[in-house]
Amino acid sequence: MSKAWLVAKHEYLTNVKRKGFLFGAFGVPLLIVVIMVIVAGIAVEAETNTERVGTVGYVDQSGVLADAIDQPENFMPFASEDDAQAALEAEELGAYFVVQPDYLDTGGVQMVSRTGTPEALLGELNAFLVANVGRGVTPELLERLKEPVEMSVVSLDSGRVVEESAIFALIFAPIIFVFVFIMATQITSGYLMSGVVEEKSSHIMEILVTSITPFQLLLGKIIGLGALGLTQLVIWIAGSYIALALGQNLEFMAGVTIPLDLLLIGVTYFILGYFLLASMMAGIGAVVGSEQESRQFAGIFSFVLVIPFIALVTFITDPNGTVPVALTLFPLTSPVAVMLRMGFGSIPTWQLIASIAILLVTTIFTVWASAKIFHWALLMYGKRPSLRELLRVLRRPTTMATSATGERAG
Amino acid sequence: MKQDTAIAANHISKNYGSFKAVDDLTFEIFRGEVFAMLGPNGAGKSTTIRMILDILKPDSGSIMVLGGPLDDARKDRIGYMPEERGLYRGVPVIEMMVYLGTLKGMSSSDANRQGMAYLERLDLADYAHKKVSELSKGMQQKVQFAVTVMHDPDLIIIDEPFSGLDPINTMVIKDLLLDFRSRGKAVVMSTHQMFQVEEMADRMLMINQGRQALYGNVDEVRRQYALPAVIIEGEGDWTVLAGVDRIEPGENGRGGTLLYLKPDTTPDAVLGEIAARPDMRIRRFELAVPNLNDIFIQVVEGTKQNV
Repeated sequence: MSKAWLVAKHEYLTNVKRKGFLFGAFGVPLLIVVIMVIVAGIAVEAETNTERVGTVGYVDQSGVLADAIDQPENFMPFASEDDAQAALEAEELGAYFVVQPDYLDTGGVQMVSRTGTPEALLGELNAFLVANVGRGVTPELLERLKEPVEMSVVSLDSGRVVEESAIFALIFAPIIFVFVFIMATQITSGYLMSGVVEEKSSHIMEILVTSITPFQLLLGKIIGLGALGLTQLVIWIAGSYIALALGQNLEFMAGVTIPLDLLLIGVTYFILGYFLLASMMAGIGAVVGSEQESRQFAGIFSFVLVIPFIALVTFITDPNGTVPVALTLFPLTSPVAVMLRMGFGSIPTWQLIASIAILLVTTIFTVWASAKIFHWALLMYGKRPSLRELLRVLRRPTTMATSATGERAG
Repeated sequence: MKQDTAIAANHISKNYGSFKAVDDLTFEIFRGEVFAMLGPNGAGKSTTIRMILDILKPDSGSIMVLGGPLDDARKDRIGYMPEERGLYRGVPVIEMMVYLGTLKGMSSSDANRQGMAYLERLDLADYAHKKVSELSKGMQQKVQFAVTVMHDPDLIIIDEPFSGLDPINTMVIKDLLLDFRSRGKAVVMSTHQMFQVEEMADRMLMINQGRQALYGNVDEVRRQYALPAVIIEGEGDWTVLAGVDRIEPGENGRGGTLLYLKPDTTPDAVLGEIAARPDMRIRRFELAVPNLNDIFIQVVEGTKQNV
């Protein structure tokens, strides 16, 4: 098997230098982090920076703010709407609001603003009104009125307790993971397939099979490119940790961590899913033998892989419904489906075990079947074998000890 | 089996459905010889070579390579250059050579050293770090040859060794192959260039429609096909000679007259008769041995007529 190792080393070293891989491994995450920081920064700035609005005037027509309890520093009372309007037009105010006479019955407050009103300004306004409307109640009760909910969610099946701040990670980590999974498996299995197609169409295969057995070649390729995919995964995970570490001072990312179980299950599915896809692609590459055609076949599998994404809404509204469960158990869709369900809800343990078991068995079968087909189709030129011929090859006894490809070769 | 047998094929056959690609071939190839495989396109040469290389399994019969069935260790002692050339196009030349060399069991450093030595010898040292796709077709051909022999194989099998090469490079490759022969390696070449076979090959096998058509020492095969005639150049009326049956004038551009001899005479007797006559002078006298090209055409056309 040392020759399989040579193939693995060669595949890894030649492909790791490819521009497409380097961009996927470093460029894309960097780009995402940069975009995320910029967008988040702008959004946070817009939603939390009340200073941007400047002084906020108010006209109290209801009398609830007569005592002006806990009035924020940047709030300023006006006697009438006209005065406030004049101040707004003179640019002394960024906005003003009018508490309607029937406020206690209707809650009506009218905001007039030169620019947008940030979320945080509404928060200040809310707190100000609560403090004044509830002036009769005890301080403890007032505190409850201001913060009615301190939420922590207990997922029933996994027993994992999620604090409010971690919900972000729980929803976004799987989506990011799914993205990485798809990119890494697509890139590496794509390399695998185009490598096989190149070797077959350029007839290097004839030299290779007089040096090593097709099985050694297949094994070496899958291991070498799998290591490449794992490299990409490790870079992305490390990048996520760095991004999280850097992002701790951003309010929306503070306290966010990547749950360990998510990581472990993710890596497990990555490895199994990759082997499944890679061996399929190798088989397709060996049979089809033309770059263009093999891409079409690869496209079909890529599509199946992301079906759970298409059913994303079902995963959010009903993570334990029939469709998500079915996609969790079906081997080609299970990696993505499991990741999504980990994020939106939880997976009963039996489903997780069944899903991994089905994927494992399918993967082993596919690697075996692909090795046989690979073996047989490598040196077939000219005509493409039919599905029936392929099935017949699978039923034949294994002849791993020799490199004989069995059927017609020229 | 003799100690110096490189390949021993014993009654091998291969069918594709009802089509007999190879039909009961038996032959031996020895170390220290250049062995030519000839035959028209589709005769079964490639199938035979692929069976030798264990890419295809014969339906019946057996093949011994380098003293036994082709296992991993014996594969390392074979160098094979397929008819359709192929190299990794996007990889630097020397890197690709090291990879393919290590797959033949060489260490990386050996592969690097031997690879560079061959590139040096083939005048390609400057291209060692260029990508294969940047090389001309002739250069790629030479790289392909270097890849085939860099691990110093005991058995070299080459399909059309000289196609696409200019006369200088043809000479370089030919010298290398003859050098391998003198070092006791077996060189098997499949080619359509008959003059190369006449020049280089010691023994040959001609396959036609999957069957053995000619097999043996190249000179002997040619003598078998010798006409009962001699080619002669000089002055005199050859028709008066007692041993001559009829004469055929030389074709334009090819000097010499063809003298067909009577069944009961020999070339030596005719030469003696000429020497005894003062009215005849000769500048050239040789047996009318046909070249391989003629034999090839004769064999192939002959089979067609039989069918």
